[in-house]
Amino acid sequence: MVKITINGRQVEAKENAKVLEVCRTNNFIIETVCAHESVSPYGNCRMCVVEITTKDGKNRVVPSCISKVEEGLDVKTNSEKVIAERKLSIQKLMARAPKSEVIKELAKKYGVDSTPLPLEDHQNCVLCSLCTRVCAEVVGVNAISKINRSTDPGALPYTVNFDACIACGSCAEICPTGAISLEDKDDTRTMAWPYQKHDFKMTKCKTCSRFYAPTKQLEYISGKSGQPMEFFAKCIDDR
Amino acid sequence: MDNIGVYAARVAPKFDGLAPGHRACIGCGEALAVRIAMKAMGPNIIIANATGCMEVISSQLPATGWDVPWIHTLFENNSAVASGIESALKVLERKGKVPARGTKVVAMGGDGATSDIGFQALSGALERGHDFLYLMFDNEAYMNTGIQRSSATPWGASTTTSPAGKKSIGQKTQKKNMAAIVAAHEIPYVATACPSYPFDMMEKVKKGLAVNGPAFINVFSVCPTGWRSAVDLSVRLGRLAVQTGVFPLYEVVNGKYKITVEPSPMRPVQDYLKLQGRFRHLSENDVKEIQERTIHEYNMLKARTTC
Repeated sequence: MVKITINGRQVEAKENAKVLEVCRTNNFIIETVCAHESVSPYGNCRMCVVEITTKDGKNRVVPSCISKVEEGLDVKTNSEKVIAERKLSIQKLMARAPKSEVIKELAKKYGVDSTPLPLEDHQNCVLCSLCTRVCAEVVGVNAISKINRSTDPGALPYTVNFDACIACGSCAEICPTGAISLEDKDDTRTMAWPYQKHDFKMTKCKTCSRFYAPTKQLEYISGKSGQPMEFFAKCIDDR
Repeated sequence: MDNIGVYAARVAPKFDGLAPGHRACIGCGEALAVRIAMKAMGPNIIIANATGCMEVISSQLPATGWDVPWIHTLFENNSAVASGIESALKVLERKGKVPARGTKVVAMGGDGATSDIGFQALSGALERGHDFLYLMFDNEAYMNTGIQRSSATPWGASTTTSPAGKKSIGQKTQKKNMAAIVAAHEIPYVATACPSYPFDMMEKVKKGLAVNGPAFINVFSVCPTGWRSAVDLSVRLGRLAVQTGVFPLYEVVNGKYKITVEPSPMRPVQDYLKLQGRFRHLSENDVKEIQERTIHEYNMLKARTTC
């Protein structure tokens, strides 16, 4: 265990823990866009920045989601430097997704009303990479990958491999700005990512004739668990 | 987004406001509902909890199961206490005595504490427009004190104070439609939810917390002890209640009705009733009556969504 100070309060933290984790477990609220406890940290949105002073007096502003704690660290989550840095990050996010409600609300909280940067609307995608991380780390199918990052503003931010995608909906669930959507209608599940869209077939339950899960997801689960596909012909309530 | 279960569930928040080791019965639907609601609400809340199962199982002295500020209130004043906390927070924040952290106030209570005993306090708090979320955990009787009937008990259910026998069918009256009564207060957000549809429920709790003004969610909590059902069926029973149309999931945003989980094709109510001991005395005719009434009520709800 190491002892650190957050906003003047002494707290204990596990060794090698990230600063953001420690702040959150001690109820210091830091709002972020790209951090999520289920996936590895990435340090992209820059909303989690904090001011730290090490034992030997080095002072700097760092993204807390990827910075480790160390003995005697002094963390300030709301100093002037930090707020200025966050305002700049919000302006960048606003330029990237001017229509996003989540970003607008965040901007309102920090009192940012406009951005000097050129607006480029990427259908609410802010390149936080949560979807690629969840697809690779949690689901394990690697269906989403990033392309042409920030070089060509007209290009796709992400590309989805529809053959690999199992339509599980994790990316839609985790997306902080709602850029990915999922809709079930009768026998199809329509998933929409920025600039792309795909229909997936649903499996019908033999007993109650309800469409209960995408066929590809059941095939994937069947392959992983070794259960034959006949097992998945009925929905969970009729098995 | 009601059946994205398997993988998306792994990205649900890890925060668990109700600690493990509480004294709930095996298969308690209410404890599950509280945990799912807490995941959606996060740690920045203050809870006022009416007397009932949830208070008894989570706070046996000197222990507490709650990871957030929590106060136990009486049956009748739960909403009054919650509105007091909300008003006090507002004043203290204005005077700068506590930092403005955006803390939300949540009131929790069972169906007895909400629809019977605490009803006038709730109605008053809704009318005054306090900014709080009320979660009503509806297990359809006073389960904590030994399964006495409440006004939320459905017709035909056998409880200890409405026992089924030769001259009695069990509960003689219909279930009180709390969501509709609360919606009549014209508050910004009213919904019904069920922990068997966790994503739907989390979304509703988040919406309820986010609105400025009172919000009310009627949470269907299966109680294997009181309903005389098998303990491994509580999640399934919740799903069946929704799919048979007995407990439709909908939300009322500023007076606009919207059904969030469509029970189509609708299952026969028999699927839901036959798994519970409290309905086992019902004859075929009784079940038919329940079926007709369920379809009638669902059609009435459907009609409200279109206007």
